[in-house]
Amino acid sequence: MTAGERLPSVFSLAQIQPVSAIVDINNFFSNCAIVGNFQHASPALQPVVKALLFQCRALGIQVENHSLMDAGTNLPLTFITPDFESVECRFSFWSDSEQRAGCEATLQAATGLMSVHGRATGRAQPIPLPYLSTVSATLALQACLATALARRRGLGISRSRVSMASAGLLCAGQYLAGATTREDAEEILPGHHDAGLRPPFRSADGVRFELETLSADPWRRLCDALGLEPVEAGRGWQSFLQRYAKGICPLPERLHKRLAKLSFAQVTRICGEAGVALCRQRTIEERARDSDVEELLRAGPWQLHPAIPTDTPLPPPREQDQPLSGLTVVESCRRIQGPMAGHLLSLLGARVVRIEPPGGDPLRGMPPLVADCSARFDALNHHKEVIEIDIKSAAGRAQLVELVSDAQVFLHNWAPGKAEELGLDYRQLAAASPGLVYTHAGAWGQLDGALDIPGTDFTVQAYSGLADLIGRAGGHGGGTLFTALDLLGGILAAQGVLLGLLSRSFCHRGGQANTSLLGAATLLSQSHLHACRMGTALLEPALADACKNLVIENLRDLPQQSHFNGDLHTDSYTRVTPPWRFS
Amino acid sequence: MTIKVKIPTLLRALTGDQKEVETTGGTIGEIIESLEQQYPGIRERLMSGDEVHKFMNIYVNEDDIRFRERLATAVSPSDTITILPAVAGG
Repeated sequence: MTAGERLPSVFSLAQIQPVSAIVDINNFFSNCAIVGNFQHASPALQPVVKALLFQCRALGIQVENHSLMDAGTNLPLTFITPDFESVECRFSFWSDSEQRAGCEATLQAATGLMSVHGRATGRAQPIPLPYLSTVSATLALQACLATALARRRGLGISRSRVSMASAGLLCAGQYLAGATTREDAEEILPGHHDAGLRPPFRSADGVRFELETLSADPWRRLCDALGLEPVEAGRGWQSFLQRYAKGICPLPERLHKRLAKLSFAQVTRICGEAGVALCRQRTIEERARDSDVEELLRAGPWQLHPAIPTDTPLPPPREQDQPLSGLTVVESCRRIQGPMAGHLLSLLGARVVRIEPPGGDPLRGMPPLVADCSARFDALNHHKEVIEIDIKSAAGRAQLVELVSDAQVFLHNWAPGKAEELGLDYRQLAAASPGLVYTHAGAWGQLDGALDIPGTDFTVQAYSGLADLIGRAGGHGGGTLFTALDLLGGILAAQGVLLGLLSRSFCHRGGQANTSLLGAATLLSQSHLHACRMGTALLEPALADACKNLVIENLRDLPQQSHFNGDLHTDSYTRVTPPWRFS
Repeated sequence: MTIKVKIPTLLRALTGDQKEVETTGGTIGEIIESLEQQYPGIRERLMSGDEVHKFMNIYVNEDDIRFRERLATAVSPSDTITILPAVAGG
């Protein structure tokens, strides 16, 4: 069925340029449209609509309102591509019942996010941002893009479903894996750790700041300089290192106290001498004045650079029900953000080949283990093929180029400049695979190279103003130790890949589609940034108090919730099923 | 002096799948050398140059050797040595 047949009353076909074979890449997304009843969305759906339309407008996708479509407890969407083909996506709060009401706070409570955030904030409480609204809107747009690509490739898929519940569980997935292994499962409950002992730190002159180092030696030097005992420093290091995995970070009280006796200038000097990176926790007002903000608000969190035309068609699908079936992604990523992007692409049916260093990724050994592999690692990587390659060697790099020559997507999260240093930047890999979509799931985006701070979830929260927003609302002074930006950053990187693949299928050009943690932070705080830049009051309503009986405190209780039957699958640990359903 | 060493999954291919092995030595450095004699190749996986690899943590009981005397950290037969990969995010 074409858009013209489906929506004659609301959509003027004259607005979309008809296409025969190739679409101009610069106008590609402005020749796409999304239709829904956005104007009459219920208050609970409004944050989702806002996040969705922000992304559509940033891409140039035409937004059409259809006042007769649902907009109460679910939001049906129609996405139309330049060839007038339309696909549908139905957004709801819950997967098992499209008519059950929900909202951001309810779903943060029910999917365990409030619990994970509460591990280090004294009690289960919401992340005071439209977090799941943004994640689920992104997943809904992904579903539209993936389904449209499937149609374009001749698959028999035209409909999809996404829920905020499945988005929440996707984000809780690694923590859930760690909590549900048969042996040595983690049980970290909200309120059991002193919120006063976690970062951020505060100097004598009242400046809040984050510290970051991925190595023990700088940490030890800093602790030595502050007069901490080595054993105390070592225990603090364990806690500091594991905060990414556990969502808690109780540090020695003496570390906080010693830092609190120094001025920020003194802290800066001591950290510099020790080699520990320091990031001042900035306000959203400061962030609003940064040079990259205007572009991120205008063009969204993706940096799309279409390039090299190709006559090579995308390979044919192998399975009819998986949008990316037949496509190959080569992933060279560590930790959370990049692997999350590859995970989503594998859930969409792509063959994902993961490059690991000789001996395997060390994170495979992070407890708790299931069948000799870390459960939390497996949660993000179990669908991938693994090849061990030493990319520091010439032979290893040649092997990687060989792999990419059979792939349509290359995904990495290397530090700034490393791709060029290795000779594995876009230009070099696109020469091996014409039409390649090349995605860097980075940290600082446009500010890469301008900031001398490692770009990790917690430094980016501090720099972007998010930590200040979250800490002020929650009364604990800092950001969330739930890895909110790594996860959203990974979801946006997968989005970048889909944008690249869909435009390639129409325009016969590959290109770069880069994303960053700072872009993810900017997307989450876009309403605050707009308000700051316009000098207006924030119109965002505060999160409603979730019904207390819905709050999941112990993640182990999630699999027992009957409304998540289709969202979770328990085997050696509880795994989250794909967040979309295609038909 | 016989010491028990807990081996992480990643290195078990080198230890014939044993989760815990016994070796000898009075310091961590000596223990790594003994392990290398018993399970060739393990040193390379633990060390980068003259230091323990950044992604590997070695504990004497609960204490990270980087916060004691590194490779010179003394061990006694009642101690348990644990090797664990490190985790970081971003």
